[in-house]
Amino acid sequence: MRRASRGVPVLLLVAAGVLVGCGDDADGGGDAADYPSDDIRLLVPYAAGGPTDLTTRTVGSCLESELDTTVVVENLPGGSGALATTELVGAEPDGHTLSLVTAGTMVLTPLANEVGYTVEDITPIGVMAEVPSVLAVGDNSPYASAEDLVQAVEAEPGSVDVGVPGASTPQGIELQRWADEHGIEVTVVPFDGNAEMTTALLGGNVDAVLINASQDVTANIDAGQFVPLIASSEERLDWLPDVPTFTELGFDGLTLSGSTFGLAGPAGLPDDVVTTLEDTLQSCLEQDEVREGIGEVYVPEEFAGADDLAEILDETQQVYEPILG
Amino acid sequence: MGIADGLGEGFSVALDPTNILYVFIGVLIGTVIGVLPGLGPTATIALLLPLTYELEPVTSVILLAGIYYGSMYGGTITSVLLQLPGEAASVVTTFDGYQMAKQGRAGPALGIAAVGSFIGGTLAVVGLILLAPPLADLAVEFGAQEYVALTAFGILLVTYLGTKHPVKALCMAALGLLLATIGQDLTTGTGRFTFDQVELFDGLDFVAVAMGLFGVGEILYNLEKTEKAEQIKSRIKNIWPSRKDFKDSSGAIARGSVLGFFLGVLPGGGGVISSLASYGMEKRRAKDPSRFGKGAIEGVAGPETANNASSTSAFVPLLTLGIPPNVVLALIYGALLINGVQVGPQLIDTNPEIFWGVIASMFIGNLMLLALNIPLVGIFVQLLRVRGGILAAFALLITMAGVFSVNNDIFDMWVVLAFGVIGWLMKKTGFEPGPLVLAFVLGAILETNFRRAMITSDGQFDTFVTRPLSGTIFALMALVIVYSTVMGIRRQRRGRPPALYSDQLDAAAPHETAPGSEAEGTAGVGATGDRADGGGSPGATGGSTRAEP
Repeated sequence: MRRASRGVPVLLLVAAGVLVGCGDDADGGGDAADYPSDDIRLLVPYAAGGPTDLTTRTVGSCLESELDTTVVVENLPGGSGALATTELVGAEPDGHTLSLVTAGTMVLTPLANEVGYTVEDITPIGVMAEVPSVLAVGDNSPYASAEDLVQAVEAEPGSVDVGVPGASTPQGIELQRWADEHGIEVTVVPFDGNAEMTTALLGGNVDAVLINASQDVTANIDAGQFVPLIASSEERLDWLPDVPTFTELGFDGLTLSGSTFGLAGPAGLPDDVVTTLEDTLQSCLEQDEVREGIGEVYVPEEFAGADDLAEILDETQQVYEPILG
Repeated sequence: MGIADGLGEGFSVALDPTNILYVFIGVLIGTVIGVLPGLGPTATIALLLPLTYELEPVTSVILLAGIYYGSMYGGTITSVLLQLPGEAASVVTTFDGYQMAKQGRAGPALGIAAVGSFIGGTLAVVGLILLAPPLADLAVEFGAQEYVALTAFGILLVTYLGTKHPVKALCMAALGLLLATIGQDLTTGTGRFTFDQVELFDGLDFVAVAMGLFGVGEILYNLEKTEKAEQIKSRIKNIWPSRKDFKDSSGAIARGSVLGFFLGVLPGGGGVISSLASYGMEKRRAKDPSRFGKGAIEGVAGPETANNASSTSAFVPLLTLGIPPNVVLALIYGALLINGVQVGPQLIDTNPEIFWGVIASMFIGNLMLLALNIPLVGIFVQLLRVRGGILAAFALLITMAGVFSVNNDIFDMWVVLAFGVIGWLMKKTGFEPGPLVLAFVLGAILETNFRRAMITSDGQFDTFVTRPLSGTIFALMALVIVYSTVMGIRRQRRGRPPALYSDQLDAAAPHETAPGSEAEGTAGVGATGDRADGGGSPGATGGSTRAEP
């Protein structure tokens, strides 16, 4: 009954929005020492209902109780994340406006479009969740293993159709790099999100998919309808111990197709605010309730803080810039 | 999941007090807007769309579906009593219904329409249950080529079926396709027509476009007209039809159910077409066709049954393929997307509560309508006294607040206003928004699947005709084009407009009141209500269908 909680009449919502807007102007730029001194706006650059939304809401409600302030989670989908991110980078760097960030919203979108911000315009706080990608085939596929598939592609480049969740997605770029850097040329077929790809794979209209292993996909893997052949992570996944990684198969560097859901504020966030948020996030991610909410397998085993998130985003930027820039 | 299990789950969803309340609200709103000539089901659903964001997905579809088939009942009332079709699909009912009312038989006319609608609606639900799950199983196999064929077929039929001006409809469909290209190219990620505006990266928001064209456009258009409150003085007696009435109509109701069901499934089909087709069929089958137009009860029973059946069966392509067959269903598709539900062949598996819950609610809704309509006709008629100006002010306020709430984006409010003005101008000039909106929705599906088919076939066009299913559909399309061209030429030689059914529509005109007979194209697209011309001439309203002198 998640939706019921949003059952505030529309007019009230609008009125409340106006009031909140006034409030921000009145006491913007609060003192870092008594942070948080006001409500926290937590933006999600994607629509309600997906894994990003779920993760942010779970972390948001934990921040709310840990920091003892109201956390308002706000979905601002659109512009491949640019709408929410523009809002974030334009906000006062006082820790009262935060957002979920991904390599997609922070690196891909600014490289592919004129959006007026770059990865330099935010202050990373920490990693909330990491969703790996898997290259999977259907249960009646002729390719029983990664080697089978690679051999087929090498024998006849372009003969294997692989679905990805969108044109400029980490998965799409990863397959392009597979061709450019390792000579493995599959035909990249862009879909719009996981559901379309799932239907296409089940219906036999693509040979394989490179897909975010979110909960809908793990359900299909458990049911045996999807057979994962390769994982995008650096090391094998705990929950898929028999599935090799791209690196293991000799394709070095293909570790960027997973999604990292980071937490960030605008550039220039005071150090003590970052530390407060980093520590709170760390303790949140140790709570069972939060881990179950996000999905146990997606919470990084070892907490990745501000520096780690910055490193992930920078690495992605360096790899993608020559391809897209 | 078997049918029994499915229905079990469906009723457990539909009988939830919240959902019962919403199906009741839906059919009540539907009846009311069916009575009011100003607002049709399309405009109403467009206006209420953002509010469904606050509801569970299944509840929102239950509500919107209730409005849709409820309006099919409501539209009958004013057609019979005042010769004012409350919504486009009821135009046909004015032919014989009003004549029956003049002969003092308004009661049985309304009664048989309610009974026929109930039977047609219920049978169509049964058809939906039997047809949809196997079709969805089949549809999982559909590849990009099949989707290209189906969407192209849909756009073709929309511009051809039930439009008065196929050329104008074609123009609007083309415009819809063009508008659909705004935003990021889904295959390459390049921005198109975005002018580096972040708001345009994802293209125009469908909800905002539809609300503007149908909602605001309709409101503006209605405000232009002088209003005059209507009053019904005659009392309606003996609403329950006699045994002879039932005997006369039983065949028409049975045929109307089947006809309506199949025309509803067809892209571009729906309410208007099915009621017209049923009327034509009954007239052809009658021993004495001259009775038609003079108060033949079959002429009321058949079309009213058919339009209700079609409003239910229209859910088949949406729930199994993810392709909305007409504008109302396109809006319901929008409601599901707003709520984050993926509409496609897997819907029945992944969201069984939506599929079966909506079906179960249709049984309940049809029963409610039967109960509502027969005793309460008199009260609904009084609604005609509500002044349009008051309605319009409220509707506009709800629209603007509503569209903002969907994406929290002020830009969408401008889109609504801009398309509101465009919609108003289109109505004034006789262009229909229906084909535009449907082409806009289908255009995105068509383009991505076309590109996908080109990628997987290495650019070979024959991929569309060598696959058996898409080949068959393309062959059908060729047939429709040839047939319509030949018929169009023949009609023109006889000095008639080249559109399908326009002669039947013209039949309404000799009474010289024929309001709202603009025969809005796709499936009950907004009630066109030339409000309260009662007794006057339909005047110079664009697209009026008066017979040649």
